[in-house]
Amino acid sequence: MVDHVTIMVMSGVDDGSLMVFRSEADGIRTGTQWLITVGRNDNNDLCLKNDTFVSRNHANLTWRDGGWWLEDKDSTNGTFLENEKDFFMDERVRGSIPIDPGQLFRVGRTWLRIQVTD
Amino acid sequence: MSFISLKDILITARQEAHRMRHFFLGVEHLFIALLEIKNGLASSVITEYGFTTEYVIDAVRRKAGKGSRHRLWAGVPNTPRTEVIFDVAQEIARDDSRTAINERDLLIAILDEDDSIPARVLKTLEIDATAMKEKVKVMKPVRSAVGSFTKIDVSPDFVRELTNDELFILRKMFHGYASIRVETALTGGYTSSQLLVVTPIKVGDKEAASVVVKIGPTDDILDEARRYNKYVKDTLPPLTARLEDKPVAPDTSELAGLKYTFLTDSDGNPKDMRAIVNKWSGDRLGRWLHQKLYGEFGEKWWKQTRPYRFEAWREYDWVLPPILTLKITPEEQKPSGATILRFPIRRTRITELDLGEIIVVENFLVYKVDPERGAIRLALAQGESTARAYQIEVQGIDFDKDTYFRGEVVDRLVGTVWKTRDDELMSSLLQLSPDFEVRNNKIEVNNFALPNPVKFYSPLLDAIVLGSISTIHGDLHLGNILIGPNDSALLIDFARTRDGHAIFDWANLEVSIMSELVVPQIGETWDDVRKLMQYLAVIDNPDLEHNIPDNINDALKAVAALRQIVAQSLANEDRWHEYSLALAFTALRAMTWETMSDTSRRLMYLVSAFAMYHFNTREGASSDHTPSPEVTDFE
Repeated sequence: MVDHVTIMVMSGVDDGSLMVFRSEADGIRTGTQWLITVGRNDNNDLCLKNDTFVSRNHANLTWRDGGWWLEDKDSTNGTFLENEKDFFMDERVRGSIPIDPGQLFRVGRTWLRIQVTD
Repeated sequence: MSFISLKDILITARQEAHRMRHFFLGVEHLFIALLEIKNGLASSVITEYGFTTEYVIDAVRRKAGKGSRHRLWAGVPNTPRTEVIFDVAQEIARDDSRTAINERDLLIAILDEDDSIPARVLKTLEIDATAMKEKVKVMKPVRSAVGSFTKIDVSPDFVRELTNDELFILRKMFHGYASIRVETALTGGYTSSQLLVVTPIKVGDKEAASVVVKIGPTDDILDEARRYNKYVKDTLPPLTARLEDKPVAPDTSELAGLKYTFLTDSDGNPKDMRAIVNKWSGDRLGRWLHQKLYGEFGEKWWKQTRPYRFEAWREYDWVLPPILTLKITPEEQKPSGATILRFPIRRTRITELDLGEIIVVENFLVYKVDPERGAIRLALAQGESTARAYQIEVQGIDFDKDTYFRGEVVDRLVGTVWKTRDDELMSSLLQLSPDFEVRNNKIEVNNFALPNPVKFYSPLLDAIVLGSISTIHGDLHLGNILIGPNDSALLIDFARTRDGHAIFDWANLEVSIMSELVVPQIGETWDDVRKLMQYLAVIDNPDLEHNIPDNINDALKAVAALRQIVAQSLANEDRWHEYSLALAFTALRAMTWETMSDTSRRLMYLVSAFAMYHFNTREGASSDHTPSPEVTDFE
């Protein structure tokens, strides 16, 4: 079980800022799972209030089975992964998918990345 | 002349941020501002990598995406990453005993960082930022554009005049050679690009191997180079045409050039099949296509199939004229009662639209930008990038006021109906002086009651196809197939190469063979064309009574050979309706080509009609396709 995670904003007005989450303080921990919610509303753990393309409750990041999972919560503008085959055609996230640290994903118009830890 | 100062760069960067509705200053805006400096460091170094600044700027804009009109904060703050870049640039300036940041400091600082949008875009374009940084470090602010002058000769076989733009591109491409000789123009495809066979000559009159040069609109050429790297490079048989150098795309020209070289021992210039077709018998051409083209390329290309179940529109809508042509209206607000168009599209509603009706288009992608005509082409944001469905032409755009860039997703755009696809198809057909009633749903040809293609194409787009997907050329016709030494087959022009419906290429090639080889054997009237359709039926059914003139019979052998290739490429053996569908759409598209002869276009109309007829009647048709359920896209 990880006890913290760092997420970097990769685009938009907050491009380059780092957000640190600790499992004892942030998100919801149940057993071996850790949930971090993403959205424009203040009550989200990862709050993207500067992007109007982000839904109020947009996506979930969950630690389970030894890795991170990304899930879109029926957001209006979608959650996307960078597409290896076509850089300019982002791949829409459907269902819950594993996401590796270092891999970029987009919530609304904001690109994010889970930082690789040493 | 010295480097531009940060103060001046910031003015351009803020303008860029404003045009993109970003209201912040990001690294992407700084990078674009650097690229926009005329003869600046960034644009010069990008050109060395074979890109134009416009292309790179559009790529950065596409990745960043336009913001919304809502402003959530005051002022134009720097992003945290911009602050970091400024700090690094400041240090670089200080190391050089200066206090103010200049163009070079800023560019080096941006190239020094891996995570910004520009850095990620450069990576995608296969530009090594570290290597670029080293180049920039030693570049001087004054650069002379004058180089040594390559002399251009033309051989007596070459009759066309070269334009100044074309001469300019050729000089750039063969910079360093004493001279070049333009041997001949290949007939090429139906695009605006030029294909030339060129022999470069070194100092001392030493001739190098001939190459094929393609000169065309910059975006097309740069895309072709990118597709070549992605799909083609590693899949070619050892002896074939290759793209070795980077494309040449000067900023000062709308045109760019590519060079295809040949790895065979060149003891004769390559010729394209369109030029040869009249010298070869249909039988010989057919055998050559089967053995040399399919035989040598098939393994890595068309035989790499995977099952692929799709609705016909996903692969074939884009071949037809735009579903709609709109004139843009300036209103920002949504006019009450206007028709809204967004995915999924219900085509029948578009047919019913009236001229002048107000339409709101939502979430479409900018597919093409044409500032000269004041037009953009929108398309559905999903699907293979070269084959996007549901294109909409929007005219009357003032590019001084509005920025549109390729790949941008337009949230909302308001326009009035100018033309529908039905209008365009119908006016194409009327150009061919039909001697039958064009507005009926059925047409009678040779005692068959056939679906009228300009009416029936729309339900056919909803058919579900059980086919296969493979790497395809995407624009296969006799002008793109070259014959090289030892009768080898060489392919060029990979601008539309993609993973797509596996038999798409063969349907296109059939259209090309019909037009180049078969049509010259017949007269020009509708009756002549109808007669030919009777002969064509013999290919499908050899037991038919027939009395085909020898010349036509020979030409049709090429088509018969092509059909043998198709037989091996069908997803399900003997289920020919899959091919009928491909042919129905590719032939209908060819009917609209004004560069083709009227006879060919008439024939294509009938080929499409028979293909649609066969699609409905052939083996397997009833069980494999069902109309898809109605979808709603209108409010």
